[in-house]
Amino acid sequence: MTKYNKITPEIAEKLQAIVGTKRFFAKDAVKDDFSHDEMPIYGKYYPEVVCEVESTEEVSQIMRLCYENNIPVTPRGAGTGLVGGCVPLCGGVVLCTTRMNKILSYDMNNLVVHIQPGVLLCDLAADALTRGLMYPPDPGEKTATVGGNVSTNAGGMRAVKYGVTRDYVLAMTVVLPDGRVMDLGKTVCKTSSGYSLLHLMIGSEGTLGIITELTLKLIPKPNMDVSLILPFADVETAIASVPQIKLANLDPQSIEFMERDIVDSSAAFTGNSVFPTVVNGKEAGAYILVTLVGDSEAELTAKMDRLGELAEKCGAYDTLVVWTDGLKKDVWAARSAFLTVIEADTKLLDELDVVVPVDRIAEFLVYTRAAGKAEGIAIRNFGHAGDGNLHIYCCANDMELDEFKRRSKAVMDKCYAKCTEFGGQVSGEHAIGHAKKQYLLESVGETAFGLMQAIKQVFDPKGILNPGKVCTNVEEG
Amino acid sequence: MLNILVCVKQVPDINLVKMDPVTGSLIRAGVPAILNPLDANALEAAVRVKEAYGGSITVITMGPDMAKEALRECLAAGADRAVLLSDRAFANADTLATSYVIVSAAKMLGDFDLIFCGKESLDGATGQMGSQLAERFGASQISSTAKIIEVDTDARTITAERDLERGVEVLKAQYPCLLTVEKANFRARIPNLKSWKASRTAEIEVYNSHTIPGLDPEQIGDPGSPTKVPRTYPPETGSKGSMIDEGSTEKNVDKLLELIADVL
Amino acid sequence: MNKTDFKDMWVFIERNGDSVLPVSLELCSETRKLCDASGEKLAAVIIGDISGGELKKVLDCGVDKLIRVSGTGYDFFNNDAYTNLFTVLCEKYRPTAVMVGGTINGRDFAPRFAARLGTGCTSDATELVWDPKATDIEFVEPAVGGKMMAVITVPVARPQVGTIRPGTFKYAPCGAHEYEVIEEHIDFPVENIRTEILDFRADDMDESLNIADADVIVCVGNAIKGADALPRYRRLAERLGGKLACTRPVFDRGVLPFKLVIGQSGVVVKPKLYISFGVSGTVNHVTGFSDADTVVAVNTDPDAAIFNYCTYGIVGNMDEVCDAMLAKLDK
Repeated sequence: MTKYNKITPEIAEKLQAIVGTKRFFAKDAVKDDFSHDEMPIYGKYYPEVVCEVESTEEVSQIMRLCYENNIPVTPRGAGTGLVGGCVPLCGGVVLCTTRMNKILSYDMNNLVVHIQPGVLLCDLAADALTRGLMYPPDPGEKTATVGGNVSTNAGGMRAVKYGVTRDYVLAMTVVLPDGRVMDLGKTVCKTSSGYSLLHLMIGSEGTLGIITELTLKLIPKPNMDVSLILPFADVETAIASVPQIKLANLDPQSIEFMERDIVDSSAAFTGNSVFPTVVNGKEAGAYILVTLVGDSEAELTAKMDRLGELAEKCGAYDTLVVWTDGLKKDVWAARSAFLTVIEADTKLLDELDVVVPVDRIAEFLVYTRAAGKAEGIAIRNFGHAGDGNLHIYCCANDMELDEFKRRSKAVMDKCYAKCTEFGGQVSGEHAIGHAKKQYLLESVGETAFGLMQAIKQVFDPKGILNPGKVCTNVEEG
Repeated sequence: MLNILVCVKQVPDINLVKMDPVTGSLIRAGVPAILNPLDANALEAAVRVKEAYGGSITVITMGPDMAKEALRECLAAGADRAVLLSDRAFANADTLATSYVIVSAAKMLGDFDLIFCGKESLDGATGQMGSQLAERFGASQISSTAKIIEVDTDARTITAERDLERGVEVLKAQYPCLLTVEKANFRARIPNLKSWKASRTAEIEVYNSHTIPGLDPEQIGDPGSPTKVPRTYPPETGSKGSMIDEGSTEKNVDKLLELIADVL
Repeated sequence: MNKTDFKDMWVFIERNGDSVLPVSLELCSETRKLCDASGEKLAAVIIGDISGGELKKVLDCGVDKLIRVSGTGYDFFNNDAYTNLFTVLCEKYRPTAVMVGGTINGRDFAPRFAARLGTGCTSDATELVWDPKATDIEFVEPAVGGKMMAVITVPVARPQVGTIRPGTFKYAPCGAHEYEVIEEHIDFPVENIRTEILDFRADDMDESLNIADADVIVCVGNAIKGADALPRYRRLAERLGGKLACTRPVFDRGVLPFKLVIGQSGVVVKPKLYISFGVSGTVNHVTGFSDADTVVAVNTDPDAAIFNYCTYGIVGNMDEVCDAMLAKLDK
C-alpha cells in the first residue's frame, strides 16, 4: 500500500506559486466544505491544501509537482456527490475546478459546445437553450459541475429518451497523474479507432486523470413538451404501467415515479402542493410523471391520447395535463426538491442508487421496505421509473450514529445482494466513490474488479490521484 | 342555477422582462404571456363554488388575439364559456375604461350572480379592477377573499372570509357580488386530459367595439381613461455603497461585522 | 369639467377604533407639502367622534380644514356606505385631490368612488410631485416589477384619487394652525348596506410575520435556491434579534408568505439594520426599506443594482457569507 508524503512548507510554497495566493488555501483557511460531499454519513476527511485552478496548465504543473513528491491529489467540482467521490481520504491537495466555469465556444455547424469542466449543469443548460439547443443529460442536482457529471457518468430524468452523460461527450482534455496533457476524442460522431480511452475516462471519478476541457454534443431543442401526471392507488400499480408506457412508442423524455409520502413531505416543505392528493374522489398513493416532446401540438395531442388510454387501462385515476410553463415549473420544482426534503426530514441518512430491470422495480421496492423494517430503519424512495434507476434512502432520526451505520449496512447488504440477483447495477448515476467499493466488488466479481485495478495502475502507477476510490484501497486519514 | 363570471387578464411574465441598459426601455420581445396568476386562483374559487352549488362559469378578458390562450387555460381548468373582447380601440385603457368595456359586454352575456377576479395583476398591480368592475356591475363587493364559506342560493348571498391587516373578517354579501381573490387557498388545479383537449378546440366568442351593443366610444381605450402615463424613466440608482473586498469570504465577514458592530 | 372649479386636497383619516392609522398621518404630512407647493388647502376627512389626543395628531400636520362627518352606516367599514359618502362629499365640495391610505379597506372603496365619479385613481405611488404648469399631481411609482418608474397623472378629471401604502411617507408634524371646521351629516341607510359582517377574528399574531417594526431585517432575494436554503437566514435573523423577510419573487415562488414581502407591493420597513442576500435591487423592493439606517447587500453579481442602495456591499455567494457570519457570531 502506498505511503504518501505530507505537504512540506516548500511544496506548499510551490503550489501557491502555481495558482497564486488568492486561490490557495491551507490549514485553517480550508473550508469545512472540502472535507465532505452531500452524504456526510461517510465521514469527514480534510485536505492539507486546496488549490482553485483556472487552467489546464495549472493542473498540469500541480500534478507534476505532486507526482514527483508523492502527494495525493483529489479533484473536486461543486461537491454535490453522494458517495464521497471528491473527499480527500489521504489528505494532500484538493484540486477544485469550480473556477474553470467558462463556456468557451459553440460550433453551431456541428452542434457541439466546448467548455471548461467547472461550468455548472444549470448554466450550460440555460445557455444552450438561448441558442435553441438542448444539453440532454438532466441529473436532479442542477448545481453540479459538468466535469463532475462526466466523472460520474451522471444520468438523470431524461436518460430514458436521450441516454446519459457518456453519450454526449465527444472529446476532452485530460491531465494525467504525472502532469502530461492529453487530448482524447474528436469532434465527430463516430469512431472505431482503438481502445476508447475517452470512454474509460468518463465515469472514472477522477481516478485516472483530471478533465480540464470538454467538448459536448448538443441537440436542437424540442419544439414543444408536455408533462402528464398519472395518479395511482399504490406504487405497484404505478410501476406496472411503466413497461406499457415504454412499449407504446411515445418516446417519452422522462418517466419518473414518486410515492405519496414524499409528495406530501415535499408539499409541506416547499409550501407548493402542486400534486393533487385526491383525484376523482380517490386518494392517490403513487404517481407516474411522464414528459412527452414533439414538433407540434397535434403530435403531442396524439401521443397524449395514447398515453391517456393506456393510463386508464393500467388503473390510473386520471391523466392530468401539465401544459402551461408556470405549472411545469411548479411540478418539476416539487420533483427536484425530493432529496432536499428527505435531507430536511432526516438526521441520519444513507442511500442506494441501484438500477434494476424496469419490470422488477416494484418488487425491489417492496423488498427494500421489508429489509428496512427488519432493521428498524425507515425507507424512503423515488426515482427514474423509465430506466429502473432507484434512489432509496435509509433514514433515522432518533438513533446513535454507530447503531444507525450498523443497521443501515445490514439493510444495504441485503438490498445490494438482491439487486445483483435481479441482474441490476450497484449505481445508476451517483457512482462508487469510497462508499460503495465493497458492493461493486460483489457485483462485478473479482476478475472484473482486478481488471479495473490493473487499469488504474497503468494510468496512475503511484496511486496519487483520488486514492481510495472506485477500486483501490488506502490507509485513510 | 348560479351564473358566474370570472374576469381574467393575460400578462407578460414580468419576472422575465428586462430593461435595455442603453435605451432605458423595456425589452418585451420573447417574454411569455401568461394567465395572471391570481386570476387562475379566482377561477379556482369559482370552480369550487360551481362544484358545490351547481351553475356555469363564463370567463371574459380584454386583450389581443393571443389572449385566447389564457382563456383556453381557464376552459381547461373548469370554465364553461370563454369570451374575448378585442379591438384596437380598446388599447391604452386604464382600469376605468377597461371595466367599462368588460361590464358592457358582460351585461350582454347575461345576469351574473357572482363575479370573481384576482386581487391584482402581475404587471399593472393597481388592484383597482375589482372595485371598479363591482361599481359598474352595481355589485356588492368582497375584496381580498381568502376563503369561501357558503353560498345560499335561496337567500342569494355568499359568505366569505377576507384577509385584513390584523385579522380575518367574515362577510355575507348579497348577489350580485364581486369577489377579488387571494392566492393562498385557491391553488389552481391541473386539468385532466379530457378537459384540456376540449379547451384546445373550444369555441371562443370574440366581440369588438361594434359588436358590444351601445358602447360609448368616449368611454373606451385612451379617451375613456382618466389616468395617463405622460412618461416613464429608468429608476434612479443611488450611489454605490462601500464595497468590502478583503480577499476572502471570511475576511469580508470579519470586516463587515466590525463595521456594523455599533448597530448590533 | 373645469379644473379650476376644484380646490383643496383631502386626506381620509382612517381609524382603528379611535386611533388614527399612521398611514393617514403620513398622508397628511406629505399632502401638506403638495398644498404648500400648489397653494391648495389641506383638509382632513374624519368620520364619527374622535378623541382630542387623536385629533391633535391630525391637526399637527398643519391641516387647514376639518370635514367632520356624522350619520348612520359608518360604524364598521363597508364599501357601500363609504363609497356613497365620498361620492356625495366630492360632488358637494369638489376637492382637487383625495388621498386614501393603501390599507385593504382603503384599496377596497377608493377606486370605487373614483369610478362612480368618473375620475382617475392611482395606487401605490412612492413619490408625489406637484406640476405647477399642468396644475396636476404627478403620482410617481415603480412599474413592471420595479424595472422602470412611471409618472401617472389625472390631467382632466377631478378629484385626483390616490391610495398610498402605509410607510411610504413620513409623519412629520409641523404644528397645528388655525383651521376651519365643516360639519356634515350624511346618513347611509343601514338596510342599504349589502354586506354583513358576521365575524371578525383577530390574527393570533405570529410575531415572526410582523416585520414592520423590526430593528434588524435579514432579507432573502430571488437568488435563494429554495425553501431548503432558508434555515441559515432564519438563524442569522434570530441571532441578530431581527426578522426574516423576502422580496416579491420569493413569495411568488411559494417559498415564504406574503406578509414577509418587503417593497412597494408589500411591507415598508424602517429597521436600524437591513441585510439583503441575493436581492437584485429592483426599485419596488428598494422603496420598501429606503429609510433603513444601515443597509448591507450580498450578491454574486458585482453589478447588481442593490449595491447602489447599500451602505456596505459584499460580492459573494449568499449562503457562504451567511454561514460565515453565523460562524463568527457564534464565536
